[in-house]
Amino acid sequence: MYNWRKLIDKLFTYIVIAVSIVAISPVIHLIITVLLNGTMVIVKTGINFFISLPPTPFSKDFGGIAPAIVGSLLMTFISLPITIVLGLFAAILTTEFPKNTISIVIDTIAKSLASIPTIAVSMIVYTIIVVPMKSFSALAGSIALTIVSLPYAYTYFSTTLRSVPFTYREAAFSIAMSRWSTVLKILIPVARRGIATAILMTLARILGETAALLFTAGRFRNGVTISPLAPADAIPLLIFDFVLSPYEIWRQVAWGASALLLLSYMIIFFAVKFLVKEVKL
Amino acid sequence: MLSRKDKLFFMSLLPLSLSLLAILIISIAVIGIRSIDSISFFGPKLYTMNVWDPEAEVYGLLAPIAGSIVTSVIAILTASFFSIPLTITIAEYLKGSTKNIVSSIVELMGGLPTIIYAVWASQYLVLFLKQYVMDPLHSYLSFIPLFSCKPVTGFSVLAAGISIGISITPYVTALILEAYQSIPSTYREACYGIGATRYESIKILLSLARPAIIAALVLGFARSLGETTIAVTTIGNSMNLNLCLFSPSYTVSALIASQFANAYLYPYAESVLYAGMLILVIISILLSLYGSTTIIRWRSRVIV
Repeated sequence: MYNWRKLIDKLFTYIVIAVSIVAISPVIHLIITVLLNGTMVIVKTGINFFISLPPTPFSKDFGGIAPAIVGSLLMTFISLPITIVLGLFAAILTTEFPKNTISIVIDTIAKSLASIPTIAVSMIVYTIIVVPMKSFSALAGSIALTIVSLPYAYTYFSTTLRSVPFTYREAAFSIAMSRWSTVLKILIPVARRGIATAILMTLARILGETAALLFTAGRFRNGVTISPLAPADAIPLLIFDFVLSPYEIWRQVAWGASALLLLSYMIIFFAVKFLVKEVKL
Repeated sequence: MLSRKDKLFFMSLLPLSLSLLAILIISIAVIGIRSIDSISFFGPKLYTMNVWDPEAEVYGLLAPIAGSIVTSVIAILTASFFSIPLTITIAEYLKGSTKNIVSSIVELMGGLPTIIYAVWASQYLVLFLKQYVMDPLHSYLSFIPLFSCKPVTGFSVLAAGISIGISITPYVTALILEAYQSIPSTYREACYGIGATRYESIKILLSLARPAIIAALVLGFARSLGETTIAVTTIGNSMNLNLCLFSPSYTVSALIASQFANAYLYPYAESVLYAGMLILVIISILLSLYGSTTIIRWRSRVIV
């Protein structure tokens, strides 16, 4: 009887660990294949990958993804500050007045917003921005990215601000600091690593978002423009269009772009890990 | 009651904070208004018929809606198959730096842009599944309706479901792990105290966490319903409605991703797509509210 129970215990351990290894292995395979296939393309094209236009289906060399890189940077540059400001304000409100009805409503709304499919956001921005302006634009793309990442930014910021012990607030109030300066001079500086982490995680979300850009940014790949009102391209959008195309050369470019996106994501991820580890110390 | 200064502080925060509320209202209003046209024109037939014929102006969204649900069910089965053992391994068997590395990998997976999963799944996973899962299942078990059709390209409901399942595994794992680790250690001590083996105590702890696990799976289901890029690159995109998991199909978001760009050419097509999205948005919001409130309620009950 006793041995039987020990046997089941051992068997269970092995099965659980085996399934866990199977669960982890796809992502390891994914990272290796994307980096291998992608860096080969990038190395072959060299600097051209970052400064040339994408190839036509029948051209001989890979060209580059300059419009997508510039478009991604431009839209991130527009939407990241807006997302941070809106998310931070909402987070301050709900952490400073946790019992207020409006705070509870905002908290619930953030959860609902995060569950709206991102392609729906794309359709919504299409109706309220693209159709009235009669053109796809980087601006519309940025607005879609902001809507998609705002609930996440809010969650990251409010988790960070909530983790600041209440004693800091009490100390600030006891020397008669106003509530605004408590927030600006005490809470945010105390939580600065958490805030930096939240900003980086929002950035990662904005950089990788695809579906929100489908019907908003347009797919302008024949040149580089930095006007927010002109159609733009983005790295995920280019990957999305090229990866299922019948042309081998476009699929190769898609691998290169995926590797670039994966590398930027991993850099952000390790920066976050570095910051968070410091907080624990 | 707030003091005058507090009120001023509150009011200064309010306008920008309400952006979330405004976005939610505008979003639902836009989708609702844009879908009125098609819903009032086609009636309930829009959701019970299965056609996509812009030339004849006949639409029915049954296949994509069924496709979305079946794909998400497969996704959530895959995710639970992976994430519960992963949770146990991280929480029970690993220690020190191995634990750090494994949980870092799970976190890394969680934030990975879905387009990268889509690239990998469409170029490797689909072929792998066709060769080692679909072909064997079809040759030995083709009398079961689910496996009855021959996998042609591999791009299918099953492929999309498993691909999405892999991509939501880290999200579900994080939710379950958080719940599992928040169970007070007194329960575990009680288990060991009556001489339970590790397996037996894990079984008891998991049953304690069951409501939270179910809620985590509901949240994962809601997330996979809206998944677009992975679905559109792996499902094969065809207006099919049959029981077989190996045939290409559509999900609502895959249909939108591939048809929306040309939909403005036809009078009702755009509105039909908005109507499909309306269903999806309503289901997602309800499920995610249900999931998150269940987890909060469970936590306040278990953690005294």
